[in-house]
Amino acid sequence: MLPTPHVSCDYDKVYEPSEDSFLILDALEKEQAFLRTYFRSKPTVVCEVGCGSGIVTTFMMQNDIPNEHAIYLPTDVNPWAMDSMVESASLNNCCTKMLSPIRTNLTSSIRPREIDFLVFNPPYVPAESVPYMPLDSEANEGDWLDLALLGGDDGMAITWKLLDSLDKIMAPGGIAYILFCARNHPEKVVKTMSTRGWKCELTEHRKAGWEVLSVYKFYR
Amino acid sequence: MKFLTSNFLKCSVRECDRSNENFPLKYNGEKCQLEQDESLEFNPEFLLRIIDRVDWSAVVSVAIDLGNSSLPSSKPEFTSEDLSDEDMIILKDLHTLLIKTNIVEGEMSCRNCGHIYYIKNSIPNLLLPPHLA
Repeated sequence: MLPTPHVSCDYDKVYEPSEDSFLILDALEKEQAFLRTYFRSKPTVVCEVGCGSGIVTTFMMQNDIPNEHAIYLPTDVNPWAMDSMVESASLNNCCTKMLSPIRTNLTSSIRPREIDFLVFNPPYVPAESVPYMPLDSEANEGDWLDLALLGGDDGMAITWKLLDSLDKIMAPGGIAYILFCARNHPEKVVKTMSTRGWKCELTEHRKAGWEVLSVYKFYR
Repeated sequence: MKFLTSNFLKCSVRECDRSNENFPLKYNGEKCQLEQDESLEFNPEFLLRIIDRVDWSAVVSVAIDLGNSSLPSSKPEFTSEDLSDEDMIILKDLHTLLIKTNIVEGEMSCRNCGHIYYIKNSIPNLLLPPHLA
């Protein structure tokens, strides 16, 4: 089993790695050999959307996931997540990797059809609405955690934003791994995405407390 | 942010996606502070693949913004499997530019809508204010 990266950040401002984060690590570990063969020595643009503490991107850098020719462009809206991402990378001796975090909403500042490998642990908790993005100057600490957690209707409002533009986001041959909880009804997502021509496969799932979490893989 | 990152960044404003002017962003050379990151080792194999992949005209354009007008206008080609000494010199220069050069502080704007984005502590902030998002 691959070691879990050390992370240290202020969990009042940045989402603390939890069962969902660890499930993604396990899914990536399971897929490591497949990804090596799939991407071979192609230069891969890797984007973790909503990197938070940086644990997932750091794990990928430590283990050359998806391959050793990767450029890591993690994104987050939370300014503190950007700091944590850099800090986690350096704590785990990843300074020789091509890492360049970008503060942005989802992938809205990355050129279309450039991302070869995408990982997303979305705000998936069902809620009445998705919180407004605060101005930095007016943000309370808890605002950033709410944004990391609350996903509106069925907890899917943000995930659908990404899925609806997946064709535009992903490079030809790209692969995306996305986490769901049972209340997101991932089986409905699979149905819709399949009709759009995406192959959808369950990579990993686990009961975590009262939640059932799953990671699905989307590719063409 | 790495110089190379500029090859992937476009304006975040959705309307600008309809224009061809939203990439590359225009970097303000006077405001950009550069540093060389020595921790990244020269890896010719990686670099060759990167060069093959990048939008070269955007590399040239951002380099000019940052005060480097020495790049050829067309993408250098490396044909043989065995790289010549001359090839190695070009590759090392490109390693310095694309991989080692870090924009620590600075600003850049969209050529279409003119929106200005800032880079602080090496992190570009492309989040839009609420009225544009």
